[in-house]
Amino acid sequence: MTPAVMDGLMPHLIDWEVVAIMAPLLGALAGLVMPRAAAGIGIAAVGLTTLAVAALSWAVTTQGARMMALGGWGAPLGIDLRADGLAVMMLAMTAGVGLCISLSALAGQRARPAAGRPGVFWPLWLLLLAGLNGAYLSTDLFNLYVMLEVISLAAVGLTVMGGGAAALRAGFEYLMASMLGALLFLLAVGFVYLRFGRLDLMGLADLVTPGDPAMAGVLALMLVGLALKTALFPLHWWLPAAHASATAPASALLSALVVKVSLYIVLRVGQYLVPPTEGLVLLVGLAGGAAMIWGGIQALRAERLKLLVAWSTVAQIGLIFVAFARSGAAGTAESWKAAALLMLAHAVAKAAMFLAAGRIKDEVGHDEIARLDRSPVRPTLAQFTFALAAISLIGLPPSIGFAGKWLLMEGALAAGYWHWVALTFVGTLLSVAVFSRVMVPFLRFDRQRGPVGEHQGWALADAPPLVLALASFGLGLGAAQILTMLEVGEPFARATGAVLGGAP
Amino acid sequence: MSGIDPMLPFDVALALALVALSWAVLAAADRFAMVVLFIVLGLMVALAWVRLGAPDVALAEAAIGAGVTGALLLATLRHLRGPEAAPAPGPVRWSVAALVAGVTVALGAVVVAVATAPRPEGLAGPVRDNLPASGVEHAVTAVLLNFRAHDTLMEVVVLLIAVIVVWAVDRGLAAAHDPAAGPEADGLGPVQAGYARLALPAAVVLGIYLLWAGAHAPGGAFQAGAVLSAVGIMAVLAGRWRPEAHHRAWARAVFGLGAAVFVLVALGVGLGPGVAYEYPPHLAKPLILAIEAAVTLSIAATLAALFFGREPAPVSRSRGRRP
Repeated sequence: MTPAVMDGLMPHLIDWEVVAIMAPLLGALAGLVMPRAAAGIGIAAVGLTTLAVAALSWAVTTQGARMMALGGWGAPLGIDLRADGLAVMMLAMTAGVGLCISLSALAGQRARPAAGRPGVFWPLWLLLLAGLNGAYLSTDLFNLYVMLEVISLAAVGLTVMGGGAAALRAGFEYLMASMLGALLFLLAVGFVYLRFGRLDLMGLADLVTPGDPAMAGVLALMLVGLALKTALFPLHWWLPAAHASATAPASALLSALVVKVSLYIVLRVGQYLVPPTEGLVLLVGLAGGAAMIWGGIQALRAERLKLLVAWSTVAQIGLIFVAFARSGAAGTAESWKAAALLMLAHAVAKAAMFLAAGRIKDEVGHDEIARLDRSPVRPTLAQFTFALAAISLIGLPPSIGFAGKWLLMEGALAAGYWHWVALTFVGTLLSVAVFSRVMVPFLRFDRQRGPVGEHQGWALADAPPLVLALASFGLGLGAAQILTMLEVGEPFARATGAVLGGAP
Repeated sequence: MSGIDPMLPFDVALALALVALSWAVLAAADRFAMVVLFIVLGLMVALAWVRLGAPDVALAEAAIGAGVTGALLLATLRHLRGPEAAPAPGPVRWSVAALVAGVTVALGAVVVAVATAPRPEGLAGPVRDNLPASGVEHAVTAVLLNFRAHDTLMEVVVLLIAVIVVWAVDRGLAAAHDPAAGPEADGLGPVQAGYARLALPAAVVLGIYLLWAGAHAPGGAFQAGAVLSAVGIMAVLAGRWRPEAHHRAWARAVFGLGAAVFVLVALGVGLGPGVAYEYPPHLAKPLILAIEAAVTLSIAATLAALFFGREPAPVSRSRGRRP
């Protein structure tokens, strides 16, 4: 269908925003009806979506932010889609990471068709992709809620897809946490409508006055709902089991992409609604700091590799919230860039790490950390990928993780938050300790030897995670350009005078 | 306004009943009683929506909130055997308690603040002004299928995901009896068979009427789909129809039909001078009705499939056919 759209759009500009949402949706429907061809359809749909996102990114970076009114109605009656620097970064992150995970899933399904369950995986992942893209382009609170519903239900499906009682139990807990978070968010959206009579973020930005007590409460409700969905300490209890029991591609999708969307909505809400009161920001920062420490400690105690990686996600989400709360003297108007960079860093590195962990588990046959060095098979390429991803997550130069942490510390120091810098150092040391636990045994060659040539355990499936891990270094070198792109459309200026473009 | 609204005592009683029923649902010790109370609560909530002047929501609540959800919960009861689950571990209970307390405080503050603030005009005015251009005469349908069609498409997708997930879950589990299959056809009592014979055609007619009425009066795809799904549920319960493995391809097609027609229309109208979802005014009504008809079929099939609860297994794995 989408090629037809391109033909038909000759008279006016192609609405790449619509393609980015509808291409995966149509791919999912086609894959649902033709389960045997689901993998091919899925790769094609993800590829087309990536092309649309690339075209949109090009248009936004060269011509500025663009906006289109679905149905031609325009806000507040209808729903507008808007692509600015932040939205485009999230879309590009989703497309790039998603494409690599898709290729990895394809390689895995070739090797083990029954375990991969292509007829289930591809429709769910494509619907998830449609929801993610829809959320990043949305400018409407209720529309964001609907997208969150699509995303969480598809994510729960990906969690339980692996089968088994543990995955089911983890998926059920995830579903409950996610539904509760969605309901809190919806309740807050209802109050916003009751108070202001509209739901479009840009219109609301003009109506909301700082220090409005009603809005402070609404914002608190919204934040709790989103914190539940993004697993901010102490509302993180569902995450480790859910992310550790899914299949490797599903874990990578959940950890790299799904938790980011609620974080993104936090940034957007901070952008358009009342500038958060200082108390709320401090609370978010404290929760983030606690998450960094608690997630690190739990990762140190984890006995299985995937559980360790999942707990490190809890810690990294805490780091992103610390960045959002504390990296800049000008408050969230400045700190969001550090948070956005860290989101990108975590998405790329964590996807690489979960895929590599999945490869290690596939080759070695288990993922008990204590016994990883006792195997005759040494999946060295996957181990190398894991180490590269760990470097970015720890934040060593020249990775993108380093760029994000640098921005965080620079901003925090400029604002005089030196004790928050100290807290970040503690979190960083914890992650060094966590990943050393895994990497030290990788370097021991003397425990058990297999026949030469058989102990490598390389496969084509090692390529996508390796590409992702290398990308975190490439992105680190290009961090300055990413920061420039983030400012397109000035996401945190009151955006009433936004550049209109795209659809006529 | 002079005097007291004669409906006031009724409204107060209804509000009190809602609170009491909610408490009773949570406090009920027996699972079956809990589900029945929940269904009653759903009907009372539907009544409350009528009193609030929202007949569309009332219809949806009665059909989906009380009807289909009640049937789903009752079907789920068959899976829940054995003793009640052990209480949650301490940290979970404490964080839930802290969450509930925090939310209650925040909610109280918000309710007070919003109630004392001036009431905005809202979007009723713009909806009224643009209603003639929407292609339908009923404001709720205009919002759902035209002004905010993007939201509605994604809600249809949510239902689609639900059925994909349910099918995926059940296939991963050990073989159990078919969850919601009623007595075998030959064991059907005369009352059930007679009721099914009378009720099924009536439900079909009612569902189609609700779909058609949606263009100018309360009704529409979600309500019609819920009523039609009851046809499927009754047919399964009465043993008139048993989902088989070879129905799966058709079932998948019907599950996806609503979203597919919706997407194709939304993109198709974007080929012309407009953007996506921008129906040409003279075609708006037939396009909206086409979308609604397809979505109704999908909702009906999806809800019925959710009630049946699992992907119909191939014959070799189905119970009783091969020892």
